[in-house]
Amino acid sequence: MQEQSETAENTTSEQKTVKKSPSFWAETWQRFKGRKMAMLALIYICFLGFVAVFAPAIAGTKPVICKYKGHIYFPALGYFRREWENPIFLKDRFRNRYPVNLKKKDPNSWAIWPLVYQDPYRRVYDNEWKGLPGNPTQDNGAPSLRNWFGTDQRGVDVFTQMVHGTTIALLVGFVSMGIAGVIGIIVGALAGFYGKWIDMVLSRLIEVVMCIPTLILILAIIAIIDSPTIWHMMAIIGCTGWTGIARLARAEFMKLRESDFVLAAKTTGVGQFRIIFRYILPNSLAPVLVPITFGIAAAILIESGLSFLGFGAPPPNPSWGTLLNLGRQNLQMWWLIVFPGMAIFLAVLAYNLIGEGIQEASDPRLRDAN
Amino acid sequence: MPGTPISVNMAMVDPGKELSRADIKRMEKAYGLNKPWPQAYMLWVKNVVQFDFGRSISRKQPVARLIMERIGPTLILSVSSLLLTYLLAIPIGLYSSARQGRLDERTTGTILYMLYSFPSFVAALFLQIYLANKLGWLPLYGMKSDGYSSMTATQQAWDIFKHALMPVICYTYGSLAYYSRFIRANMQEVLRQDYIRTARAKGLGPVNVLVKHAFRNTFIPLVTLIGLTLPSLLGGSVIIERIFSWPGMGQLYFESILERDYPTIMGLTLMFSILTLAGQLMADIFYALADPRVKIADH
Repeated sequence: MQEQSETAENTTSEQKTVKKSPSFWAETWQRFKGRKMAMLALIYICFLGFVAVFAPAIAGTKPVICKYKGHIYFPALGYFRREWENPIFLKDRFRNRYPVNLKKKDPNSWAIWPLVYQDPYRRVYDNEWKGLPGNPTQDNGAPSLRNWFGTDQRGVDVFTQMVHGTTIALLVGFVSMGIAGVIGIIVGALAGFYGKWIDMVLSRLIEVVMCIPTLILILAIIAIIDSPTIWHMMAIIGCTGWTGIARLARAEFMKLRESDFVLAAKTTGVGQFRIIFRYILPNSLAPVLVPITFGIAAAILIESGLSFLGFGAPPPNPSWGTLLNLGRQNLQMWWLIVFPGMAIFLAVLAYNLIGEGIQEASDPRLRDAN
Repeated sequence: MPGTPISVNMAMVDPGKELSRADIKRMEKAYGLNKPWPQAYMLWVKNVVQFDFGRSISRKQPVARLIMERIGPTLILSVSSLLLTYLLAIPIGLYSSARQGRLDERTTGTILYMLYSFPSFVAALFLQIYLANKLGWLPLYGMKSDGYSSMTATQQAWDIFKHALMPVICYTYGSLAYYSRFIRANMQEVLRQDYIRTARAKGLGPVNVLVKHAFRNTFIPLVTLIGLTLPSLLGGSVIIERIFSWPGMGQLYFESILERDYPTIMGLTLMFSILTLAGQLMADIFYALADPRVKIADH
């Protein structure tokens, strides 16, 4: 499409007067913007992405930026990866107590702290932060001014765990559906573009994979693997969840390979590889995004469900599902269930709304009705 | 999850009581765990072909009998939830397509959409907190009360009903939302057709048009959905059964994973896979039966 318009602009001026037709993407985006709920959901997901990226700056016990012994450090990065926390703090025996140790070991140091001084992995003790009492433990941690969403049995702040758990929730969705998207689009593209026996073989493959119950397979594999991690889970969700994407991509490719612009590209001698990826793919992507967004919602559900059963991310890692599991052990602590439960619900709802928004925006039958 | 069925079993009984190396070797041989996995798998396949699913290691019972014991409780939940779903979804779907665009239709639509996105395990916990813990109306979990065996038949039925209520709600609301939205979407499509206009033009009442003319055509995709629900009908939901400690197949699967009870895991996984395949096949056959335009032996 792009190529066509470029060549059109290069030719005579009388052709320029013909109004350039908006690309499929621009048109879809235009209609998507008109749907209030879908836009609201998209904004909410962007907000979650923001929270996930800046989680250590929102809540944590490590300074975002600090000057220590003449150098600038970013200890909060240690929340993303242990190794990114500068080893000097390990050598100087900070033991994760930054406020006290910074002052004691270097009186000239300064630091910019996260908005909330709480840790997602451990309890905050008395006077760790000047004048801040320690977190309540057992079932005494009802929501209060200091712990907005309360604390769990170990005295770890729930709000901080939820902020840091956002990363896992979003990551599971994106990584698993990224894998599924790549597999699904390639399989669907090959089946739809070449047809004949390739389509025959790949369609049977899609049907076989469709029969695999995801949750059952994940549980079975977790039973076999020695030390399952969150990445195994994402890989399994991705490798089983591509069938819907492949079917839609196949249908789109079948439809578009007969269209005029593909014929034009073929007659001008464009290679098959280029036709598939540069010509057809960009035009078939919007409908394919629908199963991907619904798949992200499903992946979030599976992850939190598994963490809830105790099979998810290993225990110290904060996850919304893990919090629910803690709440199940003591139903009196409603705050361990209500807040993470609503977080999962809202994330799933938002993805479903976006998916439906794209579906209706890219559906040609509904387009004509408007 | 590290460990073998034997080491896990002993550690659960008494951490101090460890088996001697020779004993472990002997037990591994007895259960066939000493073979490399391709060989063990071939042996398992050979036995399954003869309808022998092996014996559970942790429960010392044939796997087939264990599964048969758990089918009943799972069916109680899934069949009642399926019936409830169809009984409620069809009227709701018809109602909302009749009152398309009005305020009450939009409200029910929004509520159904919310319910559809609401995770069932979160709903289960909310129900437990409110109905069981706060109000004390329903039992928290399990299928039978303590004095179940000494009750009369009606009391027993009432007892199971009370225990089943919360799990059935959790099973039902999600699919209820899905089905009624499905019916509404299909009805919208059908109502645009020419023959509906013809029916209206010749003076048929709205109920007649909606139920007799339009709904009959949306019934076809609805029937195929039954086939697709077959696996969950028998497989149950691992998470819901776990939350309510319901002694069904999902709970059995969960327990056997914790116990590394490989024969049971294999047996259940095989059963779930066959059910999923059978469900897909059933959906296709139903489609051909319900819609005369589709023939089974085409091409």
